[in-house]
Amino acid sequence: MKNFLKRIYLWIDERVKLNDLENFLGKKYVPIHSHSVWYYFGGVSLFLFVIQVITGILLLFYYKASSDLAFESIQYIMSKVEFGWLIRSIHGWAANLFILSVFIHMFSVLFERAYRKPREITWVTGIIMFFMALGFGFSGYLLPWNELAFFATKVGSDIVGAVPLIGEPLKIFMRGGDDVTGATLSRLFGFHVALFPGIFTVLLVIHLLLVQRQGMSEPLELEIEQKTEQKRMPFFPNFMMRDLLLWLIVLNLLAILAVFFPAELGIKADPFASAPAGIKPEWYFLFMFQTLKYFPGHMWFIEGEVLGILLFGVAGILWLLIPFWDVKSSKGKRNRIITYSGIFAVIYIIVLTILGWAS
Amino acid sequence: MKKTTAALILICSISLSGYTPSDNDECLNCHDALGDEPSQLYKNDIHYLKGISCSACHGGDNKTDDIDVAMSKNAGFIGVPKGNGISERCSTCHSNPEFMKKYNSPLQVNQMNLLTNSVHGRLSINGKERIVQCTTCHNAHGIVSVKNSSSPVHPLNVPRTCAKCHSNPLLMRTYNPSLPVDQLDKYRTSIHGLRNSRGDSKTAECVNCHGSHDILPVKDVNSSVYAINLPKTCAKCHSNADYMKEYKIPIQQFEKFSNSVHGIALLQNNDLNAPSCNNCHGNHGAVPPGVESISKVCGSCHVLNADLFSSSPHKKAFDKHNYPECETCHSNHQIITATNQLLGVTKEAVCSKCHKENENVKGYLVAKKMRLLIDSLDQSEKSALNLINEAEQKGMEISEAKFKLRDAHQAKLQARTMVHSFNKEKFKEIVDGKGLATTNEVIAEAKNAIDEFYFRRVGLGVSVLIISFLAVMIFLYIKRIERK
Repeated sequence: MKNFLKRIYLWIDERVKLNDLENFLGKKYVPIHSHSVWYYFGGVSLFLFVIQVITGILLLFYYKASSDLAFESIQYIMSKVEFGWLIRSIHGWAANLFILSVFIHMFSVLFERAYRKPREITWVTGIIMFFMALGFGFSGYLLPWNELAFFATKVGSDIVGAVPLIGEPLKIFMRGGDDVTGATLSRLFGFHVALFPGIFTVLLVIHLLLVQRQGMSEPLELEIEQKTEQKRMPFFPNFMMRDLLLWLIVLNLLAILAVFFPAELGIKADPFASAPAGIKPEWYFLFMFQTLKYFPGHMWFIEGEVLGILLFGVAGILWLLIPFWDVKSSKGKRNRIITYSGIFAVIYIIVLTILGWAS
Repeated sequence: MKKTTAALILICSISLSGYTPSDNDECLNCHDALGDEPSQLYKNDIHYLKGISCSACHGGDNKTDDIDVAMSKNAGFIGVPKGNGISERCSTCHSNPEFMKKYNSPLQVNQMNLLTNSVHGRLSINGKERIVQCTTCHNAHGIVSVKNSSSPVHPLNVPRTCAKCHSNPLLMRTYNPSLPVDQLDKYRTSIHGLRNSRGDSKTAECVNCHGSHDILPVKDVNSSVYAINLPKTCAKCHSNADYMKEYKIPIQQFEKFSNSVHGIALLQNNDLNAPSCNNCHGNHGAVPPGVESISKVCGSCHVLNADLFSSSPHKKAFDKHNYPECETCHSNHQIITATNQLLGVTKEAVCSKCHKENENVKGYLVAKKMRLLIDSLDQSEKSALNLINEAEQKGMEISEAKFKLRDAHQAKLQARTMVHSFNKEKFKEIVDGKGLATTNEVIAEAKNAIDEFYFRRVGLGVSVLIISFLAVMIFLYIKRIERK
């Protein structure tokens, strides 16, 4: 058996020079320190994304993106297709875990100052992917064409419409008309399965290439404090195996969630029905949704909701451009503003999400 | 402003003078001499008898025989009131409580207000005045008390008075083309109409049901003949023991109807599809349905039941024994929701009234079998529903089977209709072929879903074991390579 595997390896090596790749990976090292655990969340996010792609493709075999058939096709997937319920439930749960993992990964990078020079592009591509992950969530939520999704999309796109100048045309573009209709479903389906994955894959490739090229960043604090040489671990196979171990644990978790809490379908969307009480977006939008509720109708010369959206817009841009305005960290100095801002953001998101959930 | 002043002068002059029929009324003296119709009629008019002069409505000075003075503008003479001016002249006194009190009048003083808000108070086609003025019904001269049999609004004359307009197709087409114009003809065929034409002023005529000054369109929820209000309107007389005493008919109809399936739907659930009194008894042509017609009346809504009954062996038997068709089993005013208990040979079953184990045996056996069949369908439907609920509670997607269960329920309703054919084979075909076949399918699907639920649990256990095993192997591998 061993000889057979070796012969296969040699056959491939002869053609694609696996040896070179092995040597390259063998020279890659991952720093070992008290914060190393956070390195794994990038890998977990990647794993969950791959699961999303695989389960998404399987769902595409049966899903029909039209307002007449979408709900029924999901119903068919859930009740008639062999393991259809499992695929859809895993797709739903993996989406949530993916966004959670991306959140953790993003904040760990922030607190470790891993975005500092020379990793600005890695941060920027990562943040854009984070925004796209939210876009995946928003566009995918409507696809079952059920009542909750329909009205949540209506509310969500209304909020987009409130953005000054570009809001209204953006809303109409997103909806494919004035209102949420079958055209919106087709459009969001296109975004969800073609446009977003295409862009996301390009960004992901750049992101991963940069990580491979530049290696893992060491936390700034440790770099400043420790004068001695850092401990390291080979990327292959040590770190890779640890990644794999975590992925298996996540896979187990996904299977348990999918079986014990299978994805629900609700009732079919009826555009002529009145909106059910207590419409809420997915949990990852809740903190923004809840914030907008606290804004008064009018503030100074501007509508409260518009002001809230503008503030989130500004915060998003500042977030994206952190590596460029946090000059101190790039120079290897402590910048407590970033730490405090990060802590504030985490607490704010958690508290507002809980408030939104409970309201 | 001028009108108000004139009215005030009129009221003051009337109240100060304390009218009595008198030869000193120069208006009447002259017009009587001329022999014109109004003056002849007015001599018997209740207003004249109470001392109210022509000038109360027409203005002018009734104390002078100088025509130029009496009928001058200075004396407030207005001639013949026109349009809304007619009713306004009447309401000057009839809407004045103080004035009416002097005559100890029992009349209400809000007639004008009621008329204005009624269907007759709407604008006429000329767009200038109300459709109906006081004189339309009461006439202008020769008005007598409503109790006087010569009054056009006396109970015996009301139908004819209303029919002046309501039986005139040309006029009615102008205002409400959808309204029939044969109400009077129908009324005359009804018990109410027949008694009325025989001089019984107690029986219902137009105003008893529709009101007088306050008549509203039948579709108006405040109308006394609006479907939901109609039972109470009929009950005003029909539930009044004293009033109905001489007619010797029951007075519990309203109470019974209120507790019936129809009454609950109409009066409690405001379901306008449910029948009101008139749907069975007719309205203008109100007659109690006879033995022959009762199934036709019920059959106007329960079409299939009536058809099946008519072609069933019971039709002949009921006719022979002079049994009212639907009523024999379902009662009349107090029809309760038909349950399976009505069918069969148990004590509460209506079949057992005629079919005994040793008498009319064939019917007895059919009833017994039909009850068994419908009970089994009922039981099967309940089992299917319980299993669906269980599967749903376990988070299984079973909406298709749930939807299919509606077919079983539909079959049950169909079977309950088919009971009226009293044909065991046809009944069995629906219960077995449609109902039980569907419930069995649903039960199988629900059981599959529940089995699938447990299969998923087992599958999860196996896959968790395999993945965990792999994870442990990797963990050991990591330990091994890191030990080196």
